[in-house]
This record gives sequence, C-alpha cells and structure tokens, in this order.
Amino acid sequence: MTRLTFRRGDAVVIAAILAASIALTAAFVLSARRGAAASVEIRQNGEVLAVLPLDEDAEFTVGGAYTNVIEVRGGEVFFAESDCPGQDCVHSGAVSAAGRSLVCLPNRVEVRITADSPDENAVDGVAG
Amino acid sequence: MRRALRFSVLTVCLAFCLTGCSAAIGASASQSGPQRYEATWMDVFDTVTTVVGYAGSEEEFEARAQEFHDEMVEYHQLYDIYNDYEGVSNIKTINDNAGVAPVEVDERIIDLLVFARDMCEATDGKTNAAMGSVTKLWHDARAAAESDANLEGTPPSEDEIAEALTHISFDTIVIDEAASTVFITDPAQSIDVGSIAKGYAVEQAASQFDDLLISAGGNVRAAGTKPDGSLWAVGVQNPDGGSEYAAVLNVTDESVVTSGDYQRYFVSDGVRCHHIIDPDTGYPASLYRSVTIVCPDSGTADALSTALFNLPVERGTEVAQAFDAQVLWIFADGSQQMTDGFAALLRD
Repeated sequence: MTRLTFRRGDAVVIAAILAASIALTAAFVLSARRGAAASVEIRQNGEVLAVLPLDEDAEFTVGGAYTNVIEVRGGEVFFAESDCPGQDCVHSGAVSAAGRSLVCLPNRVEVRITADSPDENAVDGVAG
Repeated sequence: MRRALRFSVLTVCLAFCLTGCSAAIGASASQSGPQRYEATWMDVFDTVTTVVGYAGSEEEFEARAQEFHDEMVEYHQLYDIYNDYEGVSNIKTINDNAGVAPVEVDERIIDLLVFARDMCEATDGKTNAAMGSVTKLWHDARAAAESDANLEGTPPSEDEIAEALTHISFDTIVIDEAASTVFITDPAQSIDVGSIAKGYAVEQAASQFDDLLISAGGNVRAAGTKPDGSLWAVGVQNPDGGSEYAAVLNVTDESVVTSGDYQRYFVSDGVRCHHIIDPDTGYPASLYRSVTIVCPDSGTADALSTALFNLPVERGTEVAQAFDAQVLWIFADGSQQMTDGFAALLRD
C-alpha cells in the first residue's frame, strides 16, 4: 500500500487548471456585462448601405432625394449635414447607445446603433 | 490511493471549468431557435415604423411584416388630413367639404371618429380631434420655422388662436353611422386626428399578431411574448435626449405611448413651442416634459398620452384609472412620478 503524498507536480497542475477556469469564467461574465462593441447600421428604404464600427471615427454620405452626411465621432453618431427641407435629422443630435436610432424621413434614411453581441441592457422598442 | 485523490482534486477543478463552458453553450443554443428579424418603413404616418419579430426564416418574417405594412398604408391614406389619394375619400376630403356636404367614407374612418369623440368626452375634452382649426395654426407656424437653422419661428397671433378656439366642438361634426357619412356643419372647422390616428391604426393592424413588437414613431405595441416566453423590453425616451432611457419596462400585450414636448417643436424667444396644444387655452401645455401611458389598446394609449399631457396629475390619474392605464410623468426638472402599476412593470 502506497502512502498518500502530495507532490509539487500536483500543485502546479491544480493551480494551472484553477487559473484557466477562473480566467474563462471571468471572460464570459465580462463580455456579457459590457455588451461588447456596437455598430452603426445605415439604411435607406430598408436596405442596408453600410455597417460601421461605433468606436472608429468615420464619415458616410448618402445620396438619394437629398444628401445626408452622417458622422461617427467619439463613440457617437449623428447627421452632420443634410439638404432636406425639415432638417429634423440634423436637429436630432447624436446617439450612442445600442437600440437608439436617428432618421431622415424625406431621404428615407435610418441610422441605428446595434450591439454586436447580445446586450442585457438592450431594448426591443422605444416609446417617445 | 494517491491517484484516487489526485483524480478527485482534478474533478473539482474541472467542475469550475465546466460551469464556464455550460454558460457558453446556453448562449449559443438560444440562437438556434427562431431568429430575430426587423423591418422598417418610412412611408406611413410621417414617421418611422419598425416591426420586430422572430421567425424560422427571413421569408416567413417578411410575409408577416408585409401584411402589417400593407394594412398600415391603407389606414395612413384614410386618416391623412394633408394629402389626397386617387379613389380614396379620406379625412382631408371631409375637411375640404366642411359646411358644404356630407362625405361618404370607409367604415374605418367612422370607427376612428366615433372613438375620438368618446375619448374627447372621457378626458374632459383634453384630447380633441375636432380642434383642427387650432392645430393648423401651430402646424403652419412650425412648418415656416423648419427652414431656420435654429428652428426659430413665430407663434400664431392671440386673435387667430381666440378665433380658432370658437370652432372646436364635436357637436358640429355629424357622424352618420348608418349612412357611413361625416359632415362638418361649421365651415371654419376641421378634423385633426394626429393625437389618435396612429395609435388606433397600429392597434387595428397589430391585433391579428401575437408575437411581434411594433413601433410606429414611438408608439410601441407589444403583442404576445418572444418565442422563449420572455417579455418585450420597451425603453421610454429621455426628454433630454441622453443615451439613458428614462425607464425600461418589461411588457406583454401592452401598448406604451409617450407624448413629449421634444417631439415636434419650433423655438420663439427661447421658448419651445411644441405640438401638444391644450384645447382650453389654444397654446402648448407646459405641465410636463413628457407623459407615458401603458395600457393594452394602442389607440387608447395614444389618446390618453395627449390628454394627460394637458391634465394635472390628480385628474390625469383619475382618467387613467377609468381605462385601467398606467402612467409615468416626467417634469421639467427631470423628476418622475409614476403610478404603482407602472412601477410594477419596470425592468430590474
């Protein structure tokens, strides 16, 4: 009968597995909580024209009945310029949260922020 | 024996690992059921209409969404007060014939106007579809201000408003249900269903579905639940436009409608002149930044949100109770007041 001993090798294996499991769990929890990254979806007449990362500054111009200049800057997106009659789109200001959207009705353009992975803070619709 | 111990320790460690792994499997499994789809239109009720739903395929979803949209287009044309459509007698036709002759219209117009009259009566006249004479003045002033970069405009004159206020009674709108005609006997009067038509139309077009979330310009109608049985999450817009919602609700078979002073407005001498006009004064009401109503029927919610925007909290609470509706008031300083039933719907 062999005696029960605890070798240094065992401790290393246990420590390694523990560390790996904790890291894994932490990674899942963090990614779920942060809602990960978000994208800007630009549509016209329901057709997707472009999908841009929200965390990269960019400018996108949409033609059509009117011309809209949409800007992504500092994690926000907004209509920087438009030659549409009402200018509602430009007056709407900037949005940054997943689920929020901006529109230019006359040009049939919608700019919407979408979460790249399921976000527990996301909503299905907005009243207001 | 030593080997046995080593195994048991390893098993505990593995168990840690597996909890992490099972979370990952759960997340991916939820994506293998019906997929989430969304459709958006900008051609009805001068606003953005979005339908969110789950279906086995994109075609399946689009067929349902199209059905909803087709019906909304019909309602839009019938309830339009600004445009004519070939072969359609709509509310504009009724207005154009004020003081002239009764107009034969689709049953859906009769139903809406009867509903509008009932809601006007039930809300002390605070949501009044018969006050087109007054809302037209404000609409024109807003349209004139649109070309200005800062939305600076000029409100209608006091005399114009006072005169228009003498033509807002429902008594001069003769609705003949048997003949399916409407006649405005006062030529200076007109119908404006802006505070009620969108919500009413959404309710009619949505009632055949039990698993969609419809949003028409901020009028949200949640039908049924998601396929996994979970509730729909509906945010209430922050009147200041920040990225945080003023509230987030978990609902099923409810409508959530907000009336706010930030929706359509122009600015005069630093004062925001918005589109919700108090029928008793003829001027934009200023009691709140926004009022949100939750109740099953979208038409009722739409009408109540306008009415309660024009009513003090106490009377508004009574009116809402009569319809079993829940309310959130947001005041100028950003503070909130809500009914207990509204608080019960808040997402944790």
